[in-house]
Amino acid sequence: MAGLSIHDARKSFDTTEVLKGVSIDVADGEFTVIVGPSGCGKSTLLRAVAGLEELTGGSIVIGDRDVTSLPPSERGIAMVFQSYALYPHLTVRENMAFGLRIANAAKAEIDAAVRRAAEILNIEALLDRKPAELSGGQRQRVAIGRAIVRQPQIFLFDEPLSNLDADLRVRMRYEFASLHRQLGTTTLYVTHDQVEAMTLADRIIVLRDGRIEQVGTPRELYARPANIFVAQFLGTPRMNVLPATIGTDGRATLEDGRSIALPPLAAALTAGTPLSIGIRPEDIAIGDAPDALPFTIRFIERLGGLATLHLGGREGGEAIACQLRDDGSLDEGDTVLASLPPAHLHLFGADGQALGTTGE
Amino acid sequence: MNIRRWTVTLLAAFVALLTIAPLLWMLSVSFMARGEASQFPPPLLPSDPGLDNYRMLFGTFGIGRFLLNSLLISTLATALALLFTIPAGYAFAKLRFKGRDATFRLLVAALVVPGQIGMLPLFLELKAMGLVNSYAGALVPWLAGIFGIFLVRQYCLSIPDEMLEAARIDGASEAQILRRIVLPILTPIIVTLALFVFLGSWNDFMWPLIILADQDLYTLPVALAAMSRQHVQDNELMMAGAVVTTLPVLILFLALQRFYLSGLLTGSVKG
Repeated sequence: MAGLSIHDARKSFDTTEVLKGVSIDVADGEFTVIVGPSGCGKSTLLRAVAGLEELTGGSIVIGDRDVTSLPPSERGIAMVFQSYALYPHLTVRENMAFGLRIANAAKAEIDAAVRRAAEILNIEALLDRKPAELSGGQRQRVAIGRAIVRQPQIFLFDEPLSNLDADLRVRMRYEFASLHRQLGTTTLYVTHDQVEAMTLADRIIVLRDGRIEQVGTPRELYARPANIFVAQFLGTPRMNVLPATIGTDGRATLEDGRSIALPPLAAALTAGTPLSIGIRPEDIAIGDAPDALPFTIRFIERLGGLATLHLGGREGGEAIACQLRDDGSLDEGDTVLASLPPAHLHLFGADGQALGTTGE
Repeated sequence: MNIRRWTVTLLAAFVALLTIAPLLWMLSVSFMARGEASQFPPPLLPSDPGLDNYRMLFGTFGIGRFLLNSLLISTLATALALLFTIPAGYAFAKLRFKGRDATFRLLVAALVVPGQIGMLPLFLELKAMGLVNSYAGALVPWLAGIFGIFLVRQYCLSIPDEMLEAARIDGASEAQILRRIVLPILTPIIVTLALFVFLGSWNDFMWPLIILADQDLYTLPVALAAMSRQHVQDNELMMAGAVVTTLPVLILFLALQRFYLSGLLTGSVKG
């Protein structure tokens, strides 16, 4: 096992710059998830670590070796692809043994490595089947098995759950987590799914347009997002962000003219300063409170235990999402009192960067 | 629904009969006595079937020699064509190198030029190289057919890049990837291509006629044509010669038909 250090990674395809100077340090044994929207460069970064893409600039160090110009097979990595990328004409056993065969390993060693990986993944019964005879989940397991057999220093996962159905995805997520606990191998995992990122990661790296937006534990990113992009990328339903202006009384005036109290850190802001106020849907309190404002329920999404209310204020105001336990007492068209507790507000400046947060 | 199915089946059977009838009559005539097929109306079956024509072919005319020539040239042409076109098609589909797409477009554009146009320059070139009147000279046009390269390339495009990348991570060299991953996947298209080249070179008349002067080197179609000039009236003998020419490729085609069809279909069905 080893840590991974990426320094100022740059990659351009013709005139398009996909990675614009990305630096990452992944500690030995850490499960790091790179998350971001499509086209943010996350897969390119992973492929660069694997040696499948050559960097235009920067360096990659695995353990204490600079692997920037080494071929994929000499980097000590194993990669699991979104499409599984199993060899269709080979059996599961042959698929898993392929790398060791190429390396001319002894038969006994190959058999032992394949058996061990198959035991870990519970696929001993599938060893003599061809990939076409396996389900999606089983294929994914074989792909992971092929990676385990290589005994890599670093596991690379490129959206490995994207081709699976929702139910299987939840199950495989759990298996990834327990596999990482069992093997303790340093892992770099790419996904566009924030739920995968939140549930699996020791640390999350949020990437946008080839740049890192924020790095931190899932809890840190959720509670203290560095900017509006991160704030809205993590969490479902996403964080409400309301444009506002600081009033002369130190309160914020929303677009629809109503005003709300702000946390103490806003005291430094002068009147007339534009800002964006963020609040998570689950932090909005429904019910009578000193600072509560009336809202009309425009739409309700009932999820069984929870309901998401889409609340509209006065004309011209943006609808805000509010999540609460659904007791069935509320209906579309009802008017409710809702308050935005200052302790849970996230304040962002005109440039979208966080001014600081009081929420936890 | 049933009536429609019957109609289609009957129609297909009729077309199949029309196609196979000349072949069957060719076989039948080859067993007839000299002059029997020239009667009117021509008989469908020989009145007294015999192997005289075949004896004459293999004995007097030594067609065995030409059969061997054809077998040798077609087999070598097939092997060499596969050796050159498969790596070329794979490279055009999956390897990144400068000028790849421009070169490929140029090759495909050359497909529209009829082969006959190239024959004279090719002949002069081979003459300068001293390859006229040799097996090597007869093989040259088959070595790296553009159509073969195109066929392999199109099929290779359907192989996911990730599979090849997985093999690269597993430590396989490009040659190992081609041999251990790509070739097994290409089996249907390799069989199809092999059949194309084998049939093409086996049936080819024009090029061997131009390049081979020595009668001992003649292939079956050229030898048969020479023979028909001397025995223009001898239909039964000519039909026996046609059977000897047709039968090997027919058997080969029927034996490999399963792969051939899947080779033609897979490229279009795969996403």
